[in-house]
Amino acid sequence: MPREIAIGGVLIPGLLVWFILSLALLLLFDWVVGRFGLYRFVWHPALFRLAFFVCIFGGVALLLY
Amino acid sequence: MSVTEAEAVASCRRELIRATLREETATWLFVFKSLLAFYITGWLAMRLALPQPSTAMLTTIIVANRQSGMVLAKSFYRAIGTVVGALAGFLIVALFPQQRVLFLTAMSLWIGVCAGGATLYRNFKAYSFVLAGYTAAIVALPVIDHPLGVFDSAVARLSEVLLGLGVSGVVHDLVFPRRIRDDMRRLARAQFANFIDFVQRAMAGKVARPDIENAHLRFVRDAVTLEDLRSSVIFEDPEARARSGHMMLLNQRFMAASTSMQSLHHLINRLKRKGHDVPAQALIELYAPISEALDAPIEAGAAARVLLPRLQSVRKTMDLHRPALRAGLRSDSDLLDFDTGVTLLEQFVGELYDYVDTASALQAPRLAGPAERVHFERGNDHIGSSLAFVRTTLAMGALSVYWLASAWPYGSSAMLIATVFAGLFASAPNPTLAVRETFFGYLLGMAVSFVCVFFVLTEMDGYPLLIAGSAPFLMLGLVLMAAPATTRVGVGYCMGFAYILGVKNQMDFDVMHFLNDMIAQLIGVASAGIAFIFVPPAIGSMWFIRRQLDRLRRQVGLAATAPLAGLRSRFESVNHDLFGQIVGQTERGSQASRTLLAWALSVHEMGRTLIQLRSEMANRELPGEVHGAITRAIDALARLYEQPGTISYEHALHALGAATAMTGREASLRSLMDHLHLLRLALVDDQSVLAEYMRSETLANGATHAA
Repeated sequence: MPREIAIGGVLIPGLLVWFILSLALLLLFDWVVGRFGLYRFVWHPALFRLAFFVCIFGGVALLLY
Repeated sequence: MSVTEAEAVASCRRELIRATLREETATWLFVFKSLLAFYITGWLAMRLALPQPSTAMLTTIIVANRQSGMVLAKSFYRAIGTVVGALAGFLIVALFPQQRVLFLTAMSLWIGVCAGGATLYRNFKAYSFVLAGYTAAIVALPVIDHPLGVFDSAVARLSEVLLGLGVSGVVHDLVFPRRIRDDMRRLARAQFANFIDFVQRAMAGKVARPDIENAHLRFVRDAVTLEDLRSSVIFEDPEARARSGHMMLLNQRFMAASTSMQSLHHLINRLKRKGHDVPAQALIELYAPISEALDAPIEAGAAARVLLPRLQSVRKTMDLHRPALRAGLRSDSDLLDFDTGVTLLEQFVGELYDYVDTASALQAPRLAGPAERVHFERGNDHIGSSLAFVRTTLAMGALSVYWLASAWPYGSSAMLIATVFAGLFASAPNPTLAVRETFFGYLLGMAVSFVCVFFVLTEMDGYPLLIAGSAPFLMLGLVLMAAPATTRVGVGYCMGFAYILGVKNQMDFDVMHFLNDMIAQLIGVASAGIAFIFVPPAIGSMWFIRRQLDRLRRQVGLAATAPLAGLRSRFESVNHDLFGQIVGQTERGSQASRTLLAWALSVHEMGRTLIQLRSEMANRELPGEVHGAITRAIDALARLYEQPGTISYEHALHALGAATAMTGREASLRSLMDHLHLLRLALVDDQSVLAEYMRSETLANGATHAA
């Protein structure tokens, strides 16, 4: 994956793409978990979500960037 | 004083202290969280070497709220608005880099379009539009002298705002979050319990008529509040998001049940006032079991499920009692009154059952399945929004002309602030007062900021000391913000303070620049206020209220003429939206609010009955002349609501009378007859909003005729 992506001559950091992808993954995860009410088994859902996002984003960026 | 009394006093005092402490804790938690978000953002912005860390810090102040969900919802819409606005600002500079007149015209038009768009939406969606408007100004105005810098300006603004939003979102969501979900659950449960309790008491005949109407208004307000909360809670909690559809359905069913209940009570009252005591008494006896069935302890947690079998058995009991009660009635008119009441009552019980059913589905830990989709349509006033467009465009145009003519070096600063405040307050019910309060706060904040910058910060070095030096001043504003009465002053204070403080990596202490900027910004805020005085905002004005009233009345026309498919939900949702607008845009308890709500109730009652009548008509074959007579009556009613007046009122009354007489001849058309009778009763009610169009002799005639 290139470090920067050119869109119409403007350089966009490649990480941004992975960031948005991770965000989409988080939303998907959220939707599934929310649908089945699994967040009530978690002490601090917001913290859990943030941590989960950091994990996905960190993992994806380390593996692919 | 005996020992027990002293103990009671002591425990009472302890309770009071505890309640005060709880309230204070909430306030100081809010202050603490806002400060945390403010300084973390500032530190990050400086580390990332963003050109204006103060913008990012200001963002955290703007979105700060006690409730996490509100912060997230506002952040979400602010982010959208900022992105769109930055793109628009970029485009405008790219189009007219060297043409200041065209540039400012395009800018004014864009801001006007956004202000107009904002009036079409409720909640934070409107905020998104406002932001798209003024972000364009923020991006484009500072680079007016060197257009090539616009790209950097747009990127800087975007990164600053998004950084501020991200940090506030994380801080408010993680650190001692105060969930809307809990408030909302409490509110929804309280609403449920209140309503059931109210129905129980009303059905037992323990509530007076004015109380019933007041209660209905309160229920409508509750429903709108709940709807507002629902639109924010979906950002906070995925589980709430999954339940959002059910919540919407619950609200709609609540409105339906509440309106039916209102109609039923009107019916009974009208019957009693006209001296038809026998059928009224029979109806009251018929619905007495409802009160007994609902007389179960409903506390938070005790599921609504308990009520479902009870309501089922009420239906059965009512079916059993009905023939006996009906047999006790002598005259035809009594029978007609009774049958009409029974139809309404059955409808009410059905709606109540649906409402309780949805409530119990929501209280269950797991949802059984997806909610029935509620189609939602809004009742927007396009003329009102084009007025907002014209007003904002003119105000911006006037400021631009002044700036061009005076060549004031701080003109862009003033114009920026004016844009921001003109946009922010465009949809407030009383913008002049709002601007005045904010102006006062702004002035105070800037004065304090002056002290802070030139007497305290000059002695300080490094970020921790910056925090120590400015936090006490900022805290004052945040405390003001936390109290509902001084929120606007507080917001003004914090914005003024953070704006003029202008924390940068390289602080500059330039008294002249500080004062000039301060004056320019104050003029900006003031000119926003002046714009609101000279071009009064549409919302809240008599003109606008009259338009809303027209729009509301035309709903009856919609119910009378629009194609039947999906009409019920269309009618209900537009009505619901209009209710929401009335509640949001008029001041509580004012004359305008009461008139509008009274009309809204009348329209709702009439429209629902019309729709039922029409669907009944569509389901069966009618003899041509009856069909014609009923259609004429429906048209006459629609006309009455479009142009209320004595003549159209009498016309409607006669048409309805003719239709009733014609339908009454055939026994097979009983159910149609019920609806027609209901319409007639609503029409001749001398305590409704229609009363002012009745002539006194019509009243007397109506009474004798009916008797």
